[in-house]
Amino acid sequence: MKAFEPMHSDSSLEILMARYQQGDYAAATDLIERIGPQLHRFFLAQSQSRTDADDLLQETWLRIHKVRHTYRPGEPALPWFYAIARHVRVDHHRKSVWTALGKRQLEAMTKEVAAVPREPDHADGLDVLLAPLSESQREVIEMMKVAGMSLEEVARATSSTVGSVKQRVHRAYKKLRVTMSAAGVRTGQSEELS
Amino acid sequence: MKDQEIDGVLNNAGRAPHDLAPEVLQRIADSIKPTLRPVRPLPPPWAMTCGMLLISAAVSLAGAARAGFFGFEKMDILERLLILPALVILVWMAGSEFVHAMIPGSLRRISSGALLGFGTTALLIVFAFLFRDYRSDHFFSAGIACLLVGFLHAIPAALLGWLLIRRGFAVNSVSAGLAAGTLGGLAGVGMLELHCPNLQAAHVLVWHVAVVPVSAAAGALVAWSLRFRAGSRPHERISPK
Repeated sequence: MKAFEPMHSDSSLEILMARYQQGDYAAATDLIERIGPQLHRFFLAQSQSRTDADDLLQETWLRIHKVRHTYRPGEPALPWFYAIARHVRVDHHRKSVWTALGKRQLEAMTKEVAAVPREPDHADGLDVLLAPLSESQREVIEMMKVAGMSLEEVARATSSTVGSVKQRVHRAYKKLRVTMSAAGVRTGQSEELS
Repeated sequence: MKDQEIDGVLNNAGRAPHDLAPEVLQRIADSIKPTLRPVRPLPPPWAMTCGMLLISAAVSLAGAARAGFFGFEKMDILERLLILPALVILVWMAGSEFVHAMIPGSLRRISSGALLGFGTTALLIVFAFLFRDYRSDHFFSAGIACLLVGFLHAIPAALLGWLLIRRGFAVNSVSAGLAAGTLGGLAGVGMLELHCPNLQAAHVLVWHVAVVPVSAAAGALVAWSLRFRAGSRPHERISPK
C-alpha cells in the first residue's frame, strides 16, 4: 500500500500526457501512478466498496486510453482526466440502476444495501465532513480540495460554467458552515461530525 | 464559522494520505501496454467550428438551390443584412458549443440548454423587429410544411457535424445531442430564410423559429436513446492476473 501527495505540478502532467499520446509507456505509467490514487479517492467517496472503486478506476483508465487523442496539448490535463472519470462514474451508476430495474430486484437491493453498514475504513475525514452535501456539491469540493483544482478547472471537469461552479461552492460552504458549527469542528481539527 | 476556517478544515482533510494497492495500478499499466501507440490529437476547436459553419452553410444553400431562393429574393436589404449575419453568429456559437461538448475538459462558456434558449430568443427578436405583416394566411398548413422542410434539412446538418467530430468523446451525450440538434436547427432556419417567400410575422415567428427547438429536442432524444442502449451493455473490466 502506498500514500500519495494530492497536490502536484500540473504542468508536468501536460507534458506527460503529450508523451503518452506519442506512445511513451514510461509517461503512461507515471500518469497512472500520479493520477490513479486521486481518481480512486474520487470514486471511493461515492461508492459502497473499495472493490467498486478499484473497478471504476480500471474502467476509467481503459476509457482514458481509448480517447487519449481527445486531449488537446497545452490544455489543462487534470480537468480532462476528471471529466472522463466523472462520466464513467455517472455511467456506472446509471447502468447499475438499469440492471437492477431490469431484474426487478431494485427493492430487494435497496433493503440489502440499507442493511449493510459502510465499511469504516472507507470513510476518511473529508468523506465525513462532506456527508451532508448533495452529490454535485460534494463533487466540486472534492475536486478543489483533493485535486487542488481551480474554479475554472472544476468547470472544465464538470462541463459546466464557472458561474455554476461558484454557485455550487457557495451553497456547499453555506451548508458546511451550519453543520460544522453545530458539530463544533475547529480549524486544524477533523473531529467526526456524527 | 468563517470561510477561511472551513477552508482550513477541508484542506487538512483533503491532504490526508490515501491508500491504494500498487497491484491495481500495475494491472492498469499492463492492460494498456499492448495497445499503446502514437495517436493524432484532435484538430484545434476553432478549425472544427469553421467546419461546422461550412457544413451548415452548405446544407442551407444546397436546400435553397434545389427548392429556389424565393425568400432571399423577397427580402429587402435590411432584412438580408440582419438575418444572415445573425444566423452566421448563432451557427458559430452552436458549432463551437457542439465541438466543446465533444472534447472532455473543455471550458463551456454557455450550457447547451442556455444556447438553445439564447438562439431561439435572438431569432424571435430579429424576426419580430423585421417582419410587420401580421396576416396569418394558411397558418397551419403552410407552417407545418415549413417546419418539416426545416427539420429535414436540420438532420443532414447535424449528422455531418457529428461526422466531422466523430473522433471526439462526449462526456455528457445528451448535452452534445442538444447542441448538435441546435446547430442542425439553425441550418434548417437558414434554408427556410433563403427559400420561403412567406414573410408574414406569425408564420416566421412560430414555424421557422420552431425548427430550432424541435431539432434540438430530437438531437437530445437520439443521444439519450443511444445512451440508454449503451446502458444495457456490460461494463468493461481488466481481469486480474
